[in-house]
Amino acid sequence: MNPTPPDAGDHGETFLRTLAEHERWLAAYVYSLVTRTADVDDILQECKIVLWRQFARFQAGTNFRAWARTIALHQILNYRRAEQRRPESPHEREFIEAVAGEIERCSEQFDRKAEGLRHCLRKLPEAHRAIMLSRYYEERGVEQIAAQSDRTVEAVYRLLSRIRKVLNDCISRQLATGPSAAR
Amino acid sequence: MKANTTREWDARIERALEGRLRADELAALQAEVVRDAAVRAAYAERVWLHATLRAERERLPQWLETVEPATVAPVRRWVFATMAMAAAACVLLGWNLFRLGRAPRAEIVATLVQTQNARWAGSTLPTAENAPLGRGTLALVEGMATLKFASGATLTLEAPTRLEILSAMHCRLIEGSVTAEVPESAHGFRVDTSDLKVVDLGTRFGVTAGSAGNSHVFVFEGEVTLSDGKSGELRHLGEGKSFHVDAQPGVVGTEPARFQLEQVADGWTQIPTSFGRGKDGYARRGNLQSVGPQALLMVKHSELERSRKNERRAFLTFDLSKVRPRDLTEVELVLDPEPSGLGFSAMVPDSRFAVYGVTDEVLDQWSEAGLRWENMPASDDTGLNPAQVTKLAEFSLGRGASGSPLTIKGEAFAAFLRSDTNGLVTFIIVRETGETDPSGLVHAFASKEHPSARPPTLRVR
Repeated sequence: MNPTPPDAGDHGETFLRTLAEHERWLAAYVYSLVTRTADVDDILQECKIVLWRQFARFQAGTNFRAWARTIALHQILNYRRAEQRRPESPHEREFIEAVAGEIERCSEQFDRKAEGLRHCLRKLPEAHRAIMLSRYYEERGVEQIAAQSDRTVEAVYRLLSRIRKVLNDCISRQLATGPSAAR
Repeated sequence: MKANTTREWDARIERALEGRLRADELAALQAEVVRDAAVRAAYAERVWLHATLRAERERLPQWLETVEPATVAPVRRWVFATMAMAAAACVLLGWNLFRLGRAPRAEIVATLVQTQNARWAGSTLPTAENAPLGRGTLALVEGMATLKFASGATLTLEAPTRLEILSAMHCRLIEGSVTAEVPESAHGFRVDTSDLKVVDLGTRFGVTAGSAGNSHVFVFEGEVTLSDGKSGELRHLGEGKSFHVDAQPGVVGTEPARFQLEQVADGWTQIPTSFGRGKDGYARRGNLQSVGPQALLMVKHSELERSRKNERRAFLTFDLSKVRPRDLTEVELVLDPEPSGLGFSAMVPDSRFAVYGVTDEVLDQWSEAGLRWENMPASDDTGLNPAQVTKLAEFSLGRGASGSPLTIKGEAFAAFLRSDTNGLVTFIIVRETGETDPSGLVHAFASKEHPSARPPTLRVR
């Protein structure tokens, strides 16, 4: 057993701090490109291992997110190959690459949008906030929410879709009026 | 025209996010995203919001400023999934960075110093050797791993184990087994389980927590203080002593996982014990009463006088009414090993088990609720009745054995099923190897009552 691992000094601490700062963003990035939660967990974990192993090569002061995006995308594409999963569609790989490219193109905009999200969530009416909590905090599916709230599946699906649209519109307006309004 | 089309794609995107598109619709959407920049932009915008909400899960109650509902923190279902079809519905536990506006805490709390044959499931921390660990969770699916905390305490995890690291002096065992070695510098090091808090007073000790919520503490050296999570009662535990908390009634056996008969690829049919007239249970020598429905099927064999009463055998009955036993050529039995919360695998060498088939079909009628040591099918206190059983297979579980489902095969299985005439088959699982220490491991497999793991399943074709 190695009592003082060579890598666990300042370097390790900087890594942990950086990872903690960007962890949710990284999870959101992977969730954007992978649908199955179990796959997301595996990929995120692999991704963190690679980030840690290659952290020495990351140059402080450069864009961590851009660097992490490259590694994560690589992990996602690799994971699919390694798992020999049947692709969801014949265009899956191009699809993932296209969406990843689009996210990269909009990355600054998305980062700014994230700041407005909190404000916009708070403006939702009570009933809609409860639905959001059910869907995203309690992680219930549309069917479960329908059963629990005595609505049809289709009605819940449409409601969720509408709430997300309202949120997206609100966030876009926030973006237009400047970050100060997002406080 | 253009607006209309975009709106149609918008609706499809929304359906895709909720997994409500047919395969052909999804393929068409993905092709369109690749082809059309406007659809691509719309998709990215919507998926970004959906993904961000998922990733920010833990902060949503604050952000939404609603009172947390009474049913917060739904039981996290953790399937040690390695079988392709066991889609694990697992969720990141997150870093508990609840406080907003503060810089995230990121000091190094521990280091992953050593791993042996380790395989990890979705952990929130990096799991490479020498990786620095902050607060977060580790999920070890196979093998063993050793953590060294900044306080000096060393913790060895035996798979399957999930551990949440809270600080250099404090961690929470969600399920599994850990042994701790605590030098003077780390006196006061604490391990919590759902029903116990164990505070170390400078020792070597082990803690196990069953996936169904029962904890067991064993002190190898020195002394610990522990407090029962329910009563808060404090007690000291000295060297060689152990303490056990039973699972809360109501936690187990309340909500059987409803796996049903399933047709899978290549002609296989999966029959879980939860299907039809299927049943599962175990009996323990020391119990006069039936243990009733339990989340875990426990199996143990010991010739040591002190642990003779802990001898346990498990019984499984499968309902074959939806298949034609006469036509079966291949049969496999799938069992999902789970931490029993009783004993340490470090105390037992590799263990060998045997699966017997009950040949006397009258005995298929045993009752799950009434199963006792005195009325076990085809066996009694002295062992199995050779006139009523036939040995079908043996299997082994290694030290620190994995939590991935085991598939037990053998030509004898198919022959046994083909001879069935009443649509039910019963198996008995016994451990053949004993142990050297009374605190040795009780092996456990998930039953159909287990809240998240796979029930015993017969795969046939």
